[in-house]
Amino acid sequence: MSVLAWCVVAWLLGIGVYGMVTSRNYVHLIGCLSVCQSATYVLLLGIGFRWGAGPPIFYDHPPGTPAVDPVVQAFVLTDIVVSAAMTALLLAIALQVHKKRGTLDTQHLRPLRPTE
Amino acid sequence: MTALAVQLAPLGVLLPLGVAFLLLALAHWLPPRTADVTALIFSLILVGLCGWLASRALHGPIVHWFGAWSPAVSGKPRVVLGIGFSVDPASAAVAAFCALIFAASFVFAWGYFDKVHAHFHILMLLFLAAMIGFCFTRDLFNLFVWFELMSMAAFALTAYPLEKSSLEGAFNFTVTNALGSYLMLAGVALLYARTGTLDFVTMGRIIAHGAPDPVIAGGFCLIAAALLTKAAIVPFHMWLSDAHAVAPSPVSVIFSGVMVGLGLFGLLKLIAIVFAADAQIMALVHIGLLWLGIATAIVGGLMAWAQRHLKRLLAFSTISHLGIMLLAVAAVNSTGVKGFLLYFVGHGLVKGTLFMVAGILLARFNSIDELELYGKGKGVWPAGIVMGLAGLLLGGLPWGILHEATDHVHKAGHGMAPVIAIVVGTSLTGAAVLRAALRIFPGWSGVPGIEFVSPTEREREQQDRPLWLMLLPCVVLLAIALLPPGLVESFTHDAATGLISKTAEPSGGGTIMTAIAFALTILIPAASLLRQRATRRWARVAARIETLPFRALHRLHSGRVTDYIVWMMVGLAVMASVLRLR
Amino acid sequence: MTTRWRLIVLVPVLLVLGTAATEIILTLPSFGHPLTRYGMTVNTLAPALRNVSNAVTSVMYDFRGIDTLGEESMLICAVTAAVMLLRGRRGEDGNEQAGRVSGRAWAERSDAMVLMCRLFATMLFLFGVYVVLHGTVTPGGGFQGGVIAASSFTLLYLGGGYMVWRRMLHSPVLVALEGVGGLAYVLCAAVPLAFGYSALQNVLPLGNWKDLYSGGLMVIINIAVGIAVIGSFAALLLEFMEETRVPKGPVAEEDT
Repeated sequence: MSVLAWCVVAWLLGIGVYGMVTSRNYVHLIGCLSVCQSATYVLLLGIGFRWGAGPPIFYDHPPGTPAVDPVVQAFVLTDIVVSAAMTALLLAIALQVHKKRGTLDTQHLRPLRPTE
Repeated sequence: MTALAVQLAPLGVLLPLGVAFLLLALAHWLPPRTADVTALIFSLILVGLCGWLASRALHGPIVHWFGAWSPAVSGKPRVVLGIGFSVDPASAAVAAFCALIFAASFVFAWGYFDKVHAHFHILMLLFLAAMIGFCFTRDLFNLFVWFELMSMAAFALTAYPLEKSSLEGAFNFTVTNALGSYLMLAGVALLYARTGTLDFVTMGRIIAHGAPDPVIAGGFCLIAAALLTKAAIVPFHMWLSDAHAVAPSPVSVIFSGVMVGLGLFGLLKLIAIVFAADAQIMALVHIGLLWLGIATAIVGGLMAWAQRHLKRLLAFSTISHLGIMLLAVAAVNSTGVKGFLLYFVGHGLVKGTLFMVAGILLARFNSIDELELYGKGKGVWPAGIVMGLAGLLLGGLPWGILHEATDHVHKAGHGMAPVIAIVVGTSLTGAAVLRAALRIFPGWSGVPGIEFVSPTEREREQQDRPLWLMLLPCVVLLAIALLPPGLVESFTHDAATGLISKTAEPSGGGTIMTAIAFALTILIPAASLLRQRATRRWARVAARIETLPFRALHRLHSGRVTDYIVWMMVGLAVMASVLRLR
Repeated sequence: MTTRWRLIVLVPVLLVLGTAATEIILTLPSFGHPLTRYGMTVNTLAPALRNVSNAVTSVMYDFRGIDTLGEESMLICAVTAAVMLLRGRRGEDGNEQAGRVSGRAWAERSDAMVLMCRLFATMLFLFGVYVVLHGTVTPGGGFQGGVIAASSFTLLYLGGGYMVWRRMLHSPVLVALEGVGGLAYVLCAAVPLAFGYSALQNVLPLGNWKDLYSGGLMVIINIAVGIAVIGSFAALLLEFMEETRVPKGPVAEEDT
């Protein structure tokens, strides 16, 4: 059981990359990128986890009770903000691309097509 | 004085961030031009601040602990509660140079971005803040944060023109670099899991005392993959030619001039401070990164020669030069660091100049295509002189900072392969720029070769800007590039030994090799300009064979983001295999 | 490359990376027994040093405050970029035509619906503010609460329709909120610096344990972040929602 969390991380990263590589649509590709990112959530939270420990918020239980690592939780929060910001930016770009080109097909969209 | 320096160090980040937020808050109500003036003034102030910090840091690094959380507070060894900025001379000098290029770009972009409320200046200031933070920080996660902010601003600025190509280029740029940054985050997490700290120095100490460990090696590979993606090293480099070719020229100046090089600077600092004592990682650096650098220098040079879209040509030349810089990093000695710092500055100056010349052509003639612009440049001949001189400098003209830097890179490494890669990269990129300059300005040309079939597109940029205002920053940057490097000799020496104290084993031959490269830089475009149409049968066969490798390379640089991701994974796998097979 | 070729390259690459990953997985500290001294030290020191019960908040706004400043800048940067990209040639003004697909049936909203949406929007907004304000005490904080509060605006849209939404949200104001929030954070860092302390040094009185005011400077930073997040997410919603608007007249085709 102790390696399950890490295997999930590897799986999410791998499947996300697979999804991006075989993607035929920008929006789908953005989704796959988020899948890759969720691997980092699992990894970070897994690293901070401690058996038998509570949340690092000492409101209901007094300071000194075992708690999980608060630093990685702060990192995950940063990570979520990064993800939200990045997704918004990518979707905005995708929207504009669709307006300009009329398609979101990854195989047809390429900057500076060759002149042949 | 040192106390004052410690107190002022965080301003490198706080000042541009504060100004950017202030501009944002008032954007709707500000009179036109305020943003231009403010951004220019503050970038110049930052040049001064970072330059001053660089001179103060010569007596020892300036360390500022945010929130006064110095390592002593935790009361435990190896536990650092807060984040520190550690300003060594090299970092401060690099930061000052970034600010200088920003100032030049702000002058160049004067009146370019009138339409939207100061958005361009806000994004640029955030970009600058991120770069300075990236240089100063001594905390791994903080490094990631600045790296990410830097990327975010860059993505937005690429898409700024809202043309088809710039949007697609920005998309490719964003996806590849976002994937890179997630890999980096995973790497940071792995290193944190193993060492329990994020402070560079503490982490370096823990790694030095530990046994070889796949977790640490894996963490390094993931972080290196992200930084190499930013630095556009083969095979992580595909996005660069798209993004730089389509971004507005003032932004391309920043991208090529400083942003991509910063990726390598970050890698250099990590290698020097954190991983220097880990034998397996150093083997990866000495072998793996060295060969990636060699491949990058050659591929970039070949692709640069085969372009007709001027900004794309310059983009590939940047890739080639980044390969040469990676060779300096992979040597891991003080000569290499010296070479890297000089190369970073020299290349940034020359490449900034060249992108500005491209911007001038774009603004004047509504085209950026070398063949379309044939002979049209006569009216703006000063730009032609600047471009020709810059091309010569790229190609190894024995004068100025870039030449001195190449010499150091030669001396830092050993073996024949890096030397050949440097000669190929230098001469092909210089030759490509010279060929374009000779076609555009005096109107000399032979029959076009492979560049005829390379991708191109019509572009346009804001037109009614005075020529002198656009030429001024070019000339200033080029003049700095032509300063005798002896002026900064002692500073670079101290800065380099501050990062890595090990010196290189003496090796000769640098001067001869740069002479060969320079000769090739002259000969290759000369041959190209004398080229006749291939009429005889054998000549046609020869011409076809000549284009074969270029065509293959063109096919690989397909412009599809899905392919780029495959190549990034290939790069990661190469690094993993080198570690395994060591 | 076609998809087939991409997969032919990718599969062996993923195999190589998979074996590397296996090696890393087998040598990582075992799950549930972390070696992270840093986090554990924060858990023991934060309540005593800073009088806050939420250790995550103390990491975000105090121990690693400069990280969070970078994070907030990142958010503001992305939102500014998205606004710039979406607005493009559409421009800022023009609120005549609501987003409606022509030919689709359009039902009048009932008063009950409008009322409920307004009520719930208010409650949601207040809840967001509550989460922001209690950031140092219970789970939550500027980022989380800010997003909750900003999402209340979508309820206004659902209830009142496009025109009400446009009348209540003004893009310059939202952007100004973003800027003010960011600027306040920078000042929190710079003002201690000016008085000879470290940047972001927590020099305010720390307040009482489990109190709304606990953690000194953290409280102010928390609110600043909340304001910036409300501004940015509302601006983002507004611009994406504008995309549903039918453009007035044909869009200038400059580059086809």
